[in-house]
Amino acid sequence: MSFWDQALEIARVDMRIERRLGDVSRIVLPFAVVALLVFPLALGVDLSAISLIGPAVFWAVGILFGMQVALRQAASDSPERRDLYSLLGVDPAARFVGRSLSGSVLMVGFLAVLLAAMIVLYSPRLPQGWPAPMILGSFLAAIGLTELGTLAGEVTAGLRNRTALASLIVVPLALPLVIGGSQTLESLARDTGILPWLLLLVATDLALAVAGVALARPLEEASR
Amino acid sequence: MGPHIVLNDAGISLGGRSILRGLNIEVAPGDVLGIAGPNGSGKTTLLRLLATLIAPDRGGGSVLGAKLGTPEVYAVRRLIGLISHTPAVIGELSIRENLEHAARLGGEDPVRVETALRVVGLTEAAPTRGEASSFGMLRRTEAARLLITRPRLLLLDEAFSGLDVDAQALIDALIARTTEHEGAVVMVSHDEAHLADRAGRVMTLSAGRLDTMA
Amino acid sequence: MNRIRILLATAAVAVVVGLWFAFTSPIDRLQGEFSRILNLHAPFMWVAFVAFAVTALASIMWLIRKTPRWDRLAEASVELGVVFTATGLFTGMVWGQAVWGRAWDWADPRMASTAVMFFVYIGYLALRRAVPDPEMKARRSALLGAIAVIQVPLVYFSVNLFRSLHQTQSIRPDGATMPREMLVALLVNFLAITYLYFALLLARLDLARIEETSAADSSLAGDAVKPPRLSEVNDV
Repeated sequence: MSFWDQALEIARVDMRIERRLGDVSRIVLPFAVVALLVFPLALGVDLSAISLIGPAVFWAVGILFGMQVALRQAASDSPERRDLYSLLGVDPAARFVGRSLSGSVLMVGFLAVLLAAMIVLYSPRLPQGWPAPMILGSFLAAIGLTELGTLAGEVTAGLRNRTALASLIVVPLALPLVIGGSQTLESLARDTGILPWLLLLVATDLALAVAGVALARPLEEASR
Repeated sequence: MGPHIVLNDAGISLGGRSILRGLNIEVAPGDVLGIAGPNGSGKTTLLRLLATLIAPDRGGGSVLGAKLGTPEVYAVRRLIGLISHTPAVIGELSIRENLEHAARLGGEDPVRVETALRVVGLTEAAPTRGEASSFGMLRRTEAARLLITRPRLLLLDEAFSGLDVDAQALIDALIARTTEHEGAVVMVSHDEAHLADRAGRVMTLSAGRLDTMA
Repeated sequence: MNRIRILLATAAVAVVVGLWFAFTSPIDRLQGEFSRILNLHAPFMWVAFVAFAVTALASIMWLIRKTPRWDRLAEASVELGVVFTATGLFTGMVWGQAVWGRAWDWADPRMASTAVMFFVYIGYLALRRAVPDPEMKARRSALLGAIAVIQVPLVYFSVNLFRSLHQTQSIRPDGATMPREMLVALLVNFLAITYLYFALLLARLDLARIEETSAADSSLAGDAVKPPRLSEVNDV
């Protein structure tokens, strides 16, 4: 089986397992929307402040809860499953790419619903022409966040409290994604160029993809 | 064809402790080697070493011609079949889906899955999810997988434990098929008598060292 | 099964009748045509409260009696309660956008408390899915179902406890605050949506009973495992 065939097979099975477990749609997504509810309740009824912080809260909640999407149970392998994949000749880099593919699909859907919920709940003051940059920025951030989470999952494979530990390691590293995403909108509002921020997101995504593929085998061998 | 396994004074430490030391083994095509030892003697670690999943940190060796601890092992892993303590079955997938997934990843025709299911007696049970299957069903699933992938080196870790007579006969048939096709088998167990019935040669693992049984 | 079909068909008719009343009743002078949405919004929220109260009662009965039918009732009622709450929230947001100019108002404690209640019961359903063992699933769900209902009176009376844009109860012990024709339309929809809830509840219970019976009747897992065909080992 070719590299890409292996990656697609891993992605396909991941999506099937996720459909059966429903971790993202039934637990992570509702919890993330609850988090969107918490901020304004804590802030008090200051509607203009709530409108102002909407996009920022979207990115904060998106990154923090997005990690749970990337680290979902469907994407974690037991030691026996890892050994089986090794003995079937599955390239660890193909496993990384496949996980990132399935994770990205889920992450894009997750951020899309979160974005819609934020717009309804916060009535943010969005600049003219916001949809395309916002959607593109979210899409690129979703890919980067998934790659980061998949890498973190490999680094913390088999460890106690894997999800919290991986999140702790990775969330600071996700800052370029937060900055790139939020500044895309800010630049649009200030009528300065959005291209540098989109390029930051693209560059981050590419760097993470290269790192994931390059580190896949050493990480797999180190986890034994 | 050279020996399938050669270990020269190999040893391995895990977590700072020496688990195995001074291992010298040679396993030729057609051999069935049994390794007996009490719980905690390092049998599983030895099997994982032979599966090339871990590398020796002392001495050396080769498996299926690939030098241990080098990238050469990546090319031969597909020729190795391993039955571990815990079945390597994805709980959320059905038995059939597990086998089709393994067949596709291993570059095998998924059509062979149905024949394998019939041979191991799981055709009707195939839609059952892994998490809802009994231990015996999961072992049969692993046997089906190994029938599909046809390993040249078969490694069995307490593979007969907890199995009924039918399932044990299945594992015996797997062993026979492997050796008939010039493969080799290494099986570990705490039950020496069980190994003596099946293996051409039995060694004992004690204090991290391998000795030939008297 | 025929009984259930008849119930569902009559419930559909009742809803259509309710909609007819909603579209033909007088409208509020200030809210205009959008006031008609309230004929759906209020009944859906009311029935959601009923559904969660039924869950609480069924949960308590399960904790006392430990019979599966109480657990089935609790689960079925939560599923419907969640759907009715979502519909109530959605119709409320549509109305709010049209009348207040914003779909969501943080100054309205009923909106926020309803949303919180909605997610608690989403959590209830997620909890049920996470527990494979039926007895443990029923026990944990019953405990949550019995406690979570405390939110219902908090949501209902939040408009009285806090000043908010949400109007207070229109139907009170001392009389109604709306014209007779509008009251009739609202009451018809209350009855229709409540009847819809009970029809759907019975249908869902019937389905749960069929699923459990079919699982019990199906052959034991062990029967599906046949002797291996050792002579065909080389055919794979």
